[in-house]
Amino acid sequence: MNGLWLVADREIRTRIRTKGFLISLALSALLVVALAFVPKLLGGQDAYEVAAVGTVPVAAEDVKYTNYPSEAEARKAVADGKADAALIDDQKVVSEGELDQRLGLLLESAHREGKIKASGLVITPLQVETGATAQYQSVRTGIATLLVMVLFFLLIYSSMYVAMGVVEEKGSRIVEILLAAVRPWQLLGGKIVGLGLLGLLNLAVVIGGGLIAASATGLAADFPPGMSGIVISTVVWFVLGYAFFSALAAAFGSLVSRQEEVNSVLTPMTMLMTLTYLVAYFAAVEPEGTLARILSVVPPFSSMVMPVRTAAADVSIAEIVLSAGLMVVAVVAVLFAGARVYNRAVVRTGARVKLTEVLR
Amino acid sequence: MLEVQDLRKRFGDKVALDGVGFAVQPGEMFGFVGANGAGKTTTMRIVMGVLDADSGEVRLDGAPLTYDARRRFGYMPEERGLYQKMKVAEQVEYFGRLHGLGRAAARDAAGELIERLGLAERRDDAVEALSLGNQQRVQLAVALVHSPAVLVLDEPFSGLDPIAVDALAEVLKDRCSSGVPVVFSSHQLELVEQLCDSVGIIAGGRMVAVGAVDELRDTEGRTLLKLVVRGAAPGWADGLSGEVTTDGDRQVLLVESGDDQEILRSAMRAGEVEHFGRQRPTLAEIFREAVA
Repeated sequence: MNGLWLVADREIRTRIRTKGFLISLALSALLVVALAFVPKLLGGQDAYEVAAVGTVPVAAEDVKYTNYPSEAEARKAVADGKADAALIDDQKVVSEGELDQRLGLLLESAHREGKIKASGLVITPLQVETGATAQYQSVRTGIATLLVMVLFFLLIYSSMYVAMGVVEEKGSRIVEILLAAVRPWQLLGGKIVGLGLLGLLNLAVVIGGGLIAASATGLAADFPPGMSGIVISTVVWFVLGYAFFSALAAAFGSLVSRQEEVNSVLTPMTMLMTLTYLVAYFAAVEPEGTLARILSVVPPFSSMVMPVRTAAADVSIAEIVLSAGLMVVAVVAVLFAGARVYNRAVVRTGARVKLTEVLR
Repeated sequence: MLEVQDLRKRFGDKVALDGVGFAVQPGEMFGFVGANGAGKTTTMRIVMGVLDADSGEVRLDGAPLTYDARRRFGYMPEERGLYQKMKVAEQVEYFGRLHGLGRAAARDAAGELIERLGLAERRDDAVEALSLGNQQRVQLAVALVHSPAVLVLDEPFSGLDPIAVDALAEVLKDRCSSGVPVVFSSHQLELVEQLCDSVGIIAGGRMVAVGAVDELRDTEGRTLLKLVVRGAAPGWADGLSGEVTTDGDRQVLLVESGDDQEILRSAMRAGEVEHFGRQRPTLAEIFREAVA
């Protein structure tokens, strides 16, 4: 065990000092923080500025009236961009270019309400009541979509580094000296654990950054209940997914001796991950679709689809337990098979080793 | 004592090792020589557990070599391998710790070796910034940092300048005299002859000669009689079976067989005898003959 921690320790120390790691850490944090600010920016103006001349109409929500003495001055304010539109004597609306649709509706309804009120009729507006789930639906979909990207990015990035590390040691034959001092499972396990911890650190920065930014922008108020559950499930599924894909990456990586060959030998794995990503993306948009429901139980798709589904909709505990159980089984199987391939292939330098040769 | 017994290994149809065996005593330096592709590296990789033999065994002090015993070996593979981006001292220390040294012990051992191998000024440089010769010194430090119980070095001298060769030879002699069996392969036969107590010559996966250097020189190869005569008239040795070469007014006769006393007498009649004696073959000569 000691050997495993020594290897993990070296992986962390070496990697954490590189510019690449620090940059990716900063970039991913920045991205999430920026995304937290997007709704605020897209939400547009809080209130419309309307230049009013003559009769001031009935007050409307999100509309601020400023009185101008003459029509000419009100028109000038619109032309200068000081006002979004001008309302002349509560009869005519003037705007520069096309009138903002929402502003148009607001002015129209305020105008109508004023006229109705003047005629002495009283209308009680419709009351709208939504279910608890539906209330948060758009936020949940947003969080789920963000999760897909973060999980995909971190999984593929961390697994890639495992494969590159394996090839570095194999290609330079350091592995021969290393294996004289530690067992293959310690070397492989240390690499997976070390780079995995860095992946978790990156995930923590993304989640932490996102939460802090969300509470700073007031977005957190829209968070659905059970947010901590979503965070925990994300971390757990990341660990499971990472264990699966990194073991796969190590096994494929150990087949080749040169870094230039890493990409081609990893193609089956990256294709599987991309497929998982696409499915998870659809699951974020349509969490209750048949495809999403089935694949959220099938490993390794479940590693990305399930956390996304739980973020986007309510999933029954039974489904989650079944899905996690199957994923654990798959992870154990891949770890054993991967370790077997690695053990046999990692000292066979030279030409690319065939998978069938080492699996027998 | 490190014993290699009857190792056999095939790669597909090619027989790489066909019954390789030798033994190295504690405190003995064993030179492993052979042409390229003869099986030296394969043998060493099997000793280090990098490869498995098809049959045969490696034993240490009479018992089959276990993983834990092997962890106390020091190994320098033929193809040098270091983490290129890791600093020199950090790297040597890391390998010390992998071999089971504590943090402080690993740091001390690494520092001492780096000093001794003349790398003190480069200790905080990344390995990739070092010359190949210096990288080789780091490689050696990695093999030695945990005070190994057995040293297995594949071509440790290749690519080193004469000063580095001397430094490395000193370190090896030092380790050897403290009772560590040392096995190394080399193509520099003069060096092997000068350093090693015993040698093994391998050709085509078989050991063709194994033994103490002195014994081999006595028993293997042709022992020639060498005679140097000054001022002899040309043709004095016409009756003798041998080669005569002229070097100024000296004539040198090399004879493989014949009555040495008779030859001496005819030489004394012909001129002034300056040298008369058996000339033992050098290791290089034994090697060429054994491998041919």
